[in-house]
Amino acid sequence: MSEHEQYLAEKEKIDQLLSEGYNIYHAVENLDGAFVEFFHLKSGTKKTLHIRTANARKYFSSIFIQQKSS
Amino acid sequence: MADLSINLAGIKSPNPFWLASAPPTNSGYQVQRAFEAGWGGAVWKTLGDPILNVSSRFAAINFNGQRVAGFNNIELITDRPLDVNLKEIYETKKRFPNHAIIASLMVEPKQEKWHEIVKRVEDVGVDGLELNFGCPHGMAERGMGSASGQVPSLVEKQTYWVKEAAKTPVIVKLTPNITDITVTAEAAVNGGADAISMINTINSLMGVDLDTWNTIPHVAGKGAHGGYCGPAVKPIALNMVAECARNPRISVPISGIGGISNWQDAVEFILMGAAGVQVCTAAMHHGFRIVEDMIEGLDHYLDSKNISAVSELIGKSVPRYSDWGNLDLHYNITAQINTDVCINCNKCHIACEDTSHQCIDMIKGDNGRSYLKVREEDCVGCNLCAIVCPVEGAITMVEQTSMQPMTWNERQAALNSSK
Amino acid sequence: MVTIKTQRISITDLERNFEEADRGFTNQEALEESNRCLFCYDAPCIKACPTGIDIPSFIKKIASGNLLGSAKTIMSSNPVGASCARVCPTEELCEGSCVLNHSTSPIQIGKLQRYATDWAIKNEQTLFKAGTPNGKTAAVIGGGPAGLSAARELARFGFRVTIYEAAEKAGGLNTYGIVSFRLPQSISFWEVEQVQKLNVRILTNTMAGRDVSAEELLHSYDYIVLAAGMAHVPDLRIEGEELKGVYDAIEFVKATKSGKLSRDFAGKRVAVIGAGNTAIDGATCSVRLGAENVKILYRRSVEEMTAYDFEYEFAKQDGVEFRWLTAPKRIIGDAEGQVAGIECVQMALGDPGEDGRRSPAEVEGSEFTLPVDAVIKAIGQTRHLPLIEAFGLQHEYGVVTADKETFQTSNPKIFACGDILFGKGKGDAMVVTAAQQGKLAAYAIHKQAQTAGTAK
Ligand SMILES: Cc1cc2nc3c(=O)[nH]c(=O)nc-3n(C[C@H](O)[C@H](O)[C@H](O)COP(=O)(O)OP(=O)(O)OC[C@H]3O[C@@H](n4cnc5c(N)ncnc54)[C@H](O)[C@@H]3O)c2cc1C
Ligand SMILES: Cc1cc2nc3c(=O)[nH]c(=O)nc-3n(C[C@H](O)[C@H](O)[C@H](O)COP(=O)(O)O)c2cc1C
Ligand code: SF4
Repeated sequence: MSEHEQYLAEKEKIDQLLSEGYNIYHAVENLDGAFVEFFHLKSGTKKTLHIRTANARKYFSSIFIQQKSS
Repeated sequence: MADLSINLAGIKSPNPFWLASAPPTNSGYQVQRAFEAGWGGAVWKTLGDPILNVSSRFAAINFNGQRVAGFNNIELITDRPLDVNLKEIYETKKRFPNHAIIASLMVEPKQEKWHEIVKRVEDVGVDGLELNFGCPHGMAERGMGSASGQVPSLVEKQTYWVKEAAKTPVIVKLTPNITDITVTAEAAVNGGADAISMINTINSLMGVDLDTWNTIPHVAGKGAHGGYCGPAVKPIALNMVAECARNPRISVPISGIGGISNWQDAVEFILMGAAGVQVCTAAMHHGFRIVEDMIEGLDHYLDSKNISAVSELIGKSVPRYSDWGNLDLHYNITAQINTDVCINCNKCHIACEDTSHQCIDMIKGDNGRSYLKVREEDCVGCNLCAIVCPVEGAITMVEQTSMQPMTWNERQAALNSSK
Repeated sequence: MVTIKTQRISITDLERNFEEADRGFTNQEALEESNRCLFCYDAPCIKACPTGIDIPSFIKKIASGNLLGSAKTIMSSNPVGASCARVCPTEELCEGSCVLNHSTSPIQIGKLQRYATDWAIKNEQTLFKAGTPNGKTAAVIGGGPAGLSAARELARFGFRVTIYEAAEKAGGLNTYGIVSFRLPQSISFWEVEQVQKLNVRILTNTMAGRDVSAEELLHSYDYIVLAAGMAHVPDLRIEGEELKGVYDAIEFVKATKSGKLSRDFAGKRVAVIGAGNTAIDGATCSVRLGAENVKILYRRSVEEMTAYDFEYEFAKQDGVEFRWLTAPKRIIGDAEGQVAGIECVQMALGDPGEDGRRSPAEVEGSEFTLPVDAVIKAIGQTRHLPLIEAFGLQHEYGVVTADKETFQTSNPKIFACGDILFGKGKGDAMVVTAAQQGKLAAYAIHKQAQTAGTAK
């Protein structure tokens, strides 16, 4: 899978959670990439995505900033 | 014709092009020839206790057949007694009252030494002083030049001593042989400098002769490190000028030096905050006559931009120079190959394939003709292909739509706040 | 290719006229030109060179000062690379394919190739070593570019190689046929020496079919490479051909490369018949021997001329006159049996023939006579029929039949390469193709010897 396809796959996972009503509330970054934690306000469920590609790491952080400002 | 005159910390000259303190400004004969050719100012070859030079002094780096891509020297300051220089400065100033003559000075880091020389050079009517805290070789071994220029407290103290005696503006010339030039620049400002100039030469060894195993240059089989300048140092010098220009604590005018070879280089330095420029290597390579095109080119450039005075250009690009953390992570450009212009040398392909992101494909068209195509989704917009492409207009970096800007600093601030 | 800076023919110092016309690159010129090379990836020039020289590599090696490496790169692909640097029609080959044709101007590959090989010559370099002996033997008939190339490669593979060469010196047309102001003999001799240094035995003055029989050769060697080239210029088959002052162009050029230059042409009028490479060489040699007027008579037009553009230019700069659509009818002699004139007839072009060239026909009643003192025939070359038949090889009108890839002939032991394979409409007879075919024949022989070896 090309780097771009990996990015698309990761983005799709993020978008899927967002469309299900999850919000990003926290992210931990380390040598292996970013572990982005999502929280579903209504159900109180948490989910973590391991985001590796550079473009997806840019993507989730922009979403996060958007969510915080709105 | 635009107004090309400058006023750098009170030193006026008819144009921003000065000869840097170096062999071109060694004598009255030379400086007068330079002024006749059109140079607006000259920083006299550094004055101080007359030194002794060695023979075999310069060397140059030739890159792929291009001569003098970089230049280096192990020459010291003037080897002529002060009174000889002063007499010639006096005569030159009398013949060219509107041109700037700046005396470059270097003495031991002692207050009385600085007071003495400042008084003597100002008596013959120089327009300003430049303190040479930069020469990296020879003089530095004796505690002068870059040896004192690398110690912020010595820069500050010596500047202060000079200012105690000086009536004309004082420029402090900084050495690039230091990790963060803004520290010594700030020291100079704290010492009372009216302006700073940069860069002096960079520590360097030009080469080793493969047959004799001697250094290049060598003096009877021995070499010592020299000072590097010329086109190759321009990016280093430009950054140092820009770093000082954007630093709010360094509030004095800057005289830009280092690898300036033509009017375009000069404009870049001025845009990055220099109030004037100094040139050495280019003049040594081609003679004083190069200033004619420098002046004309600058003039035409200003006219084409409808700018009436060169002073209006100063620092126009400084706000665009920032820290990496303030760059937009989402800004997205990708390479596009114009196959009509492309000559199929395939250099972009192999550069990207071997050393970047493997996104330029060599394709055979239906008609049997080969062509190159960028897989845009995999292109990271690094510019490498456009850099190696030998044909103008064959590769364009095209802006793509992207998300709302987000800098690293903004991103980290957001992520950290969630902890 | 050849570019002439100062074109001056001396009437008194004929020797000077035959010195190499192009002076070659100075160090500075070579450095600048080599640095202009883009070092293309998958470079088209490599594909355009019949011998596939890694051109970007040899040029970069000039730029880096690695001249020995540069010369090796050239000569390893092309055993006659020093000659080719001078005689290849580069604008049709490597230089013609240079990508810079589309932006600035092509790299002068030929001159750079000459610069690197000249360095090797001047510095007396030996570039290659013989391979470990493989116990096999090969005879190469003909020591021209094709034969030398095959011999060199075979020697590198470890064959014991003997070259049989009819002439006094090896080198073929490089030694005797291509004019010395384009290709000095010393260059050809250096290439011969390079081959000799791989323990290749060269028996000169030894003609296969005369001094040694075909059977004997077939009996004594494991493999035979037939690289005898083509033979003399055919007769015009017109009246007066036997007169004094009628020359075979190849013999005529050969005479200018074999010792003292003749003074007999000074101030004379010369007609050259034909418009191929040989005709040009015959004409320019005449000029350089001091002839007062030299005309090339060609029965077709400039379009059909087979000489290269650069040759045509060169001849024009030498002051050679071209008479197109002019065919000889009869050579006229004087009382002493010496050429006095040539009767010609005007031609007109008809429809394109089999080879795509329009065939000419006489214009009735258009005969005219040109007063000339010498006639040089340059209408192609005949074939070595007796030799080919002595080996019992299949052929078509003297053009040996051989496999396109292996160059094997109808006798599996015999491989043929170079001009002996050259037939009408099969590209140009060039030194570089001869060299490549020699190489490929050697590879095929090596391959065959290896499989034969393992089968045993
Ligand atoms: C006047 C002229 C100018 C040319 N100019 C150019 C040019 O500018 N560029 C270019 O690329 N090409 C040129 N050519 C063509 C080129 O020279 C030939 O294509 C090339 O030399 C062919 O090489 P070869 O080894 O096949 O034959 P040759 O070079 O002809 O060599 C054949 C050798 O075999 C020898 N031989 C023949 N019969 C026997 C025998 N029975 N026994 C032993 N030895 C024998 C001959 O003596 C000769 O040495 C020119 C040719 C001519 C005639
Ligand atoms: C041969 C030589 C001698 C120099 N001597 C001095 C000097 O005496 N004083 C000084 O301040 N700088 C000296 N310099 C440095 C130049 O003034 C200038 O700062 C440096 O060469 C960078 O500019 P350039 O790239 O235009 O040459 C010298 C440079 C050269 C090449
Ligand atoms: S340029 Fe050459 S000749 Fe002139 S002083 Fe320097 S070394 Fe001597």
